[in-house]
Amino acid sequence: MISKIRRPFNLQNILLSYGFVIIFALLFIFFSLTTKNFLTIDNLLTILVSAAPYILMATGLATVIMTGNIDISVGAILFLAMVSGNMLMLTRSLNPWIAIPLMFAVGLALGALNGFIITVLKINPLITTLGMLFGVRGLTLYITHEQMMTLAPVLLNFGKLPYFRELVILIALVFLVLMHILITRTPFGRHVMAVGNSPEIAARLGVRVKTTIFITYVLSGLMVTIGGLFQLMQVSVIVSREGQGYEFTLIAAAVIGGISLFGGEGNMIPGLILGGTTLVMAENGLTQLGVTPYLYPLVRGGIIFLAMYADSLKSSVSKTMAVISEVAEKFLPVVNPGPPGEK
Amino acid sequence: MSELTLRLVDIQKKFAGVQALKGVSIDAYAGESVALLGPNGAGKSTLMNILGGVIPPDSGNIFLHDQPVEIHSPLEAVRHGITFVHQEIAMLPTLTIAENLFITSFPTQLGFIKTRAINDQAVQAMARLGFYFPPTTKVSSLSPGDRQLVEIARALLSNPKIIIFDEPTSSLTEREKLRLFEVIQGLKVTGVTIIYITHLLYEVFDICERAYILRDGEIVGGGLMKDLPYQKIVQMMTGARSEQAVATRKSRQTSETILQVTGLNRSGVLEDINIELHKGEVLGLWGLLGSGRTELLRAITGLDPIDSGVIQIHEKGTTRKIRPADTKKWVGMITENRREEGLLLPQSVKDNMSLANLTGLLSRLWPLIDGRREVKEAEKYVQRLNIAISGLNQVVATLSGGNQQKVVIGRWLERNPIIYFMDEPMRGLDVGAKAEIRKIIGELAEAGAAILVVSSELEELMSVSDRYLVMDRGRIVAELPCETTKEELIARAAEAKAFEAR
Repeated sequence: MISKIRRPFNLQNILLSYGFVIIFALLFIFFSLTTKNFLTIDNLLTILVSAAPYILMATGLATVIMTGNIDISVGAILFLAMVSGNMLMLTRSLNPWIAIPLMFAVGLALGALNGFIITVLKINPLITTLGMLFGVRGLTLYITHEQMMTLAPVLLNFGKLPYFRELVILIALVFLVLMHILITRTPFGRHVMAVGNSPEIAARLGVRVKTTIFITYVLSGLMVTIGGLFQLMQVSVIVSREGQGYEFTLIAAAVIGGISLFGGEGNMIPGLILGGTTLVMAENGLTQLGVTPYLYPLVRGGIIFLAMYADSLKSSVSKTMAVISEVAEKFLPVVNPGPPGEK
Repeated sequence: MSELTLRLVDIQKKFAGVQALKGVSIDAYAGESVALLGPNGAGKSTLMNILGGVIPPDSGNIFLHDQPVEIHSPLEAVRHGITFVHQEIAMLPTLTIAENLFITSFPTQLGFIKTRAINDQAVQAMARLGFYFPPTTKVSSLSPGDRQLVEIARALLSNPKIIIFDEPTSSLTEREKLRLFEVIQGLKVTGVTIIYITHLLYEVFDICERAYILRDGEIVGGGLMKDLPYQKIVQMMTGARSEQAVATRKSRQTSETILQVTGLNRSGVLEDINIELHKGEVLGLWGLLGSGRTELLRAITGLDPIDSGVIQIHEKGTTRKIRPADTKKWVGMITENRREEGLLLPQSVKDNMSLANLTGLLSRLWPLIDGRREVKEAEKYVQRLNIAISGLNQVVATLSGGNQQKVVIGRWLERNPIIYFMDEPMRGLDVGAKAEIRKIIGELAEAGAAILVVSSELEELMSVSDRYLVMDRGRIVAELPCETTKEELIARAAEAKAFEAR
């Protein structure tokens, strides 16, 4: 009854929007054919288990990116949150029921501090979170004396539970779905997208822009801590460089998944799943191929670059499209499909 | 006669000592469309912002349905049934139509948006406008005209009794405009009062029953459209004072053509434009707002594409055909909005002056800017144009409008082009500064430059021009000599439209 609107140059847009699905598929096929152990249930599960914490961590940051802002302090926040809770459990034997929520509280508070500096003190998000990155990481290194730290027994035991890997995937999935619903089904989610479109227009329409941005930074701090905890339980130790470089891995996961750095676009499902898994799968496959680990950063950098380039290309294409349709409008019949019922 | 819905009585407003509204009174009836006409700065927007609750009036009363009301905020205005459709469309392109309509008023259940409810309501709201896109369509895939309909639908959600349209057709195509007019007619039938702000006179004849003409903060005329002949409105808009204050000048016109434009066309915008610009003359391009003056300048300088036409430069006995994009090499362009397009406001006077001539300032030894020569050149033109500054390093943003405009002109003097295009060179300047700019234009012409001036203030244009081209709806409709009177110029600019409007 209601007809769809047709647009020219669909192919190009599809290619740009779903390009990474294709790359993902190609990588998957390539590794499956060239290595013996890649396409085994156990290995695929390994990939998912390693990817799950990253995806979980990225859900909060993704909301920040959707507003058109950025948070590069996530790795440092994760580091301090983990160290603070873990250290209190180790040295002061703090009850895990207090220590673990404390970790989350630290992440949440640091996110709130980011949000406060950005929305109230009006300092550029990149500078704010860059300052946070150095400040928080420096503080944490001061606390740990740059020493590596084993996890508290509770966390270690938790990591040794039967079906721990399946549990991690399940928990990540639950949080992912919750965040997805938050963004797609609540007024807050629409306001995030509205701010990402244009803070000025959103404000003019009555959206509380600052509150919205503030909340996304809180979510970013909180979610990176939750994700980080599951990451640590897999490796059993907090290294002195914990969380370093995560900011770019997470931003890359978001961008690969189609969440535009220009804001206002993208989704958690399937976007983040695709983004997070692509990065982990590439490294897993390279390991299987026996490539030296020193090359991983290069590959990761290449993928990140490709994703960002596609993002920028996509938005310039849509600008061109706007011009094209504006011109076309003059020559083509009005696209208004007409009242329902009519042919 | 239908019900009197809105009555503004003796509204006054002062901004920083300037009387923006000098006691304006307006009546509007249910189911009719009232045009608010007037040149830029006449006070149209101020008046509507008062009605929309954006700014408070100094004195005066607002009556809605014969009840006196005070409107303190836009929200209160909406509660009184008054909504505003702004000139720039406020849309969130990556969200759907329904989401754009309800962005700040989502109906929710347990915190979740009732998606089906907003979609259904959106369909209903849009159907009132004869607009049948699925509500889940992303706004980014809509044309500007469709987006405006979404904007109007949003305004209609609050069930307004009075809708103010501020220049609604400025970004619309002809077809979209006709559809908008249909929508407005439809709204009138339901008893809504429309206030229609525009400077495009012919639109008013299509859709308005009543008009008020504002000039310098005063209502200079108004009444039912059927009692207002076109010519009379034009005269009221441009100012009926036929003062002789305009210095009568002798034509300097020479016969040596420098720039020649032949058969220039741009579909739907410009039609068969032929111009000869002579050495040492000031050619005044006159026409009402929307007649295509700025579009013509943009087309000749390659800012907008052209469909056909030839541009030739005659220089030192040779003739060469050039592409529109290359015109800039010969032309000193003084743009309409000096603050946005002409100047780097936070930079110094010297930097701004050097900008158009950086290659000319390079040292002879190596490709670096010769600082001493830069200062010398800048000083030379600061003196010649009598620019009042504390020093060459003064920041341009701190200069007065007149001095800023002189910096823009001074910049081109350094390059010494043979042709100048000046779009509204005296806009926003005080009387003294206008006189100085006028003198500079005269001097440039005396020195042999060919100058094309565009201005919407007829007196300004008449004070500098040696010859006139009159434009109307993208065509040049007349060429008139220096001695032409103001009444004649107004008549020529208006007559074609008057013919079509009736």
